[in-house]
Amino acid sequence: MLRLLTLALLVLVSPEITRAYNIVLISGGPALRSHERFKANTHDRYWGNFVDSALARVKELRKEFGPDDKITWLVFRPGYIRRGMEEKQDYLKILEERGQLHGLTPIYFDDKEQLFTLLRRNGSPEKPLIARLEYYGHSNKKCLMFDYSNRVDGGAIETQVVHVDDLENISGSSFTPNAMCVSYGCHSGEEFSQRWRMVVGRPMVGAVGKTDYGAGGMPKLSERRGGSWVY
Amino acid sequence: MGVLIPLLLLFAVAAPSFARPLPTRDTADQPTTTEPSTNTNAPASTPAQTVAQPEPKEDEEVRKPVTEKVRRATLPAALTPARHGDTSGSYLIGQRTLVEDYAGWGWVRKEGEGWNKGRWIAIEYDPKVCPVPHAFLPRPQDDKDYLYKLYGDFAPYRAYEPQADVWVDVLVLRGFVSLGPAKDTIRRDPPHHGSSKPNRFAERGANVR
Repeated sequence: MLRLLTLALLVLVSPEITRAYNIVLISGGPALRSHERFKANTHDRYWGNFVDSALARVKELRKEFGPDDKITWLVFRPGYIRRGMEEKQDYLKILEERGQLHGLTPIYFDDKEQLFTLLRRNGSPEKPLIARLEYYGHSNKKCLMFDYSNRVDGGAIETQVVHVDDLENISGSSFTPNAMCVSYGCHSGEEFSQRWRMVVGRPMVGAVGKTDYGAGGMPKLSERRGGSWVY
Repeated sequence: MGVLIPLLLLFAVAAPSFARPLPTRDTADQPTTTEPSTNTNAPASTPAQTVAQPEPKEDEEVRKPVTEKVRRATLPAALTPARHGDTSGSYLIGQRTLVEDYAGWGWVRKEGEGWNKGRWIAIEYDPKVCPVPHAFLPRPQDDKDYLYKLYGDFAPYRAYEPQADVWVDVLVLRGFVSLGPAKDTIRRDPPHHGSSKPNRFAERGANVR
């Protein structure tokens, strides 16, 4: 009996010990300059804010996690195609080249349904559990907007945002028990983070106030108004 | 003789500083990394020194200023065409309305109806099919309070307005006819706009400069 129990415990515990974890970085899309350039609060002068910031994080994450842990980089494709058409550049090619410098190949998604599918995990080697999730892109306190001011001026298309009402499509079982999530978008800490924790069941760090990608690298809290990072 | 000795001494002391020795083949072949100095007052005997540049940290990324590459589509006369795109079939009367920090194009209504039955819309367009009317103008605000006949279809999806956390109808533009300036500004707030209204709890998101 004791031997059986020990065996059962070993079976239960051993996959947890040997399992490689998955780190997911999500890059939202940029706005179009034709929508933004005449606005007082203009956005995305530089097309690659959310690409560069995600890639800047890779080096730190590689130190933090083990060599077997895999980093998955999810990129919202339509935003870069449309911005590239506007500026007559192949931004997908450029971001793929930048990803290669960090040993990453982007996995593209075109709408929120595809994103939900990509975030659905069962712990198998093909679909490892997510140990860390980080979002780089536009957001407000209720919504992650991959498509902000791109297809419509100043707004985002319904199918290309994750609103707090959509969070039921993300299962907590796709994450490790001690998984950590971070949103580097604006205002996420004012409501989205709390709703994420309630619905998904994992903590999400988010900003109270705006975040600023203007200096390159990792985004910083905007200095215009006092802000902070909260769960 | 008394004059010659000081003269010889003067030459002996000053001779090394008249000119630098010509470089040997070995030193001449070495690539020089420093820029040629244009400072003629610098003593020739002192080696050219590089200005100490602060070494950028390994993780530090230096962001160059981004130059605007986007050019708005403008006609030579900067005028909105009277008719553009596919202008067949049913249409809506649209009045371009600008609301600061609020997504969308303006108000639309059916022909014969009043603006009290109007709908606030966002316009989605393909520049190859039909750009929005203000794309022909220097600035988006240049056709404020202009009337148009808008040809197109409502999309099966809506647009998210991040300032007010509301969903706005999307008209996919096919063509338009310019009707000129409207008589009056529409004095009506778009849905849930204004700080005293409900739902104005979601600030605009966007992050970057």
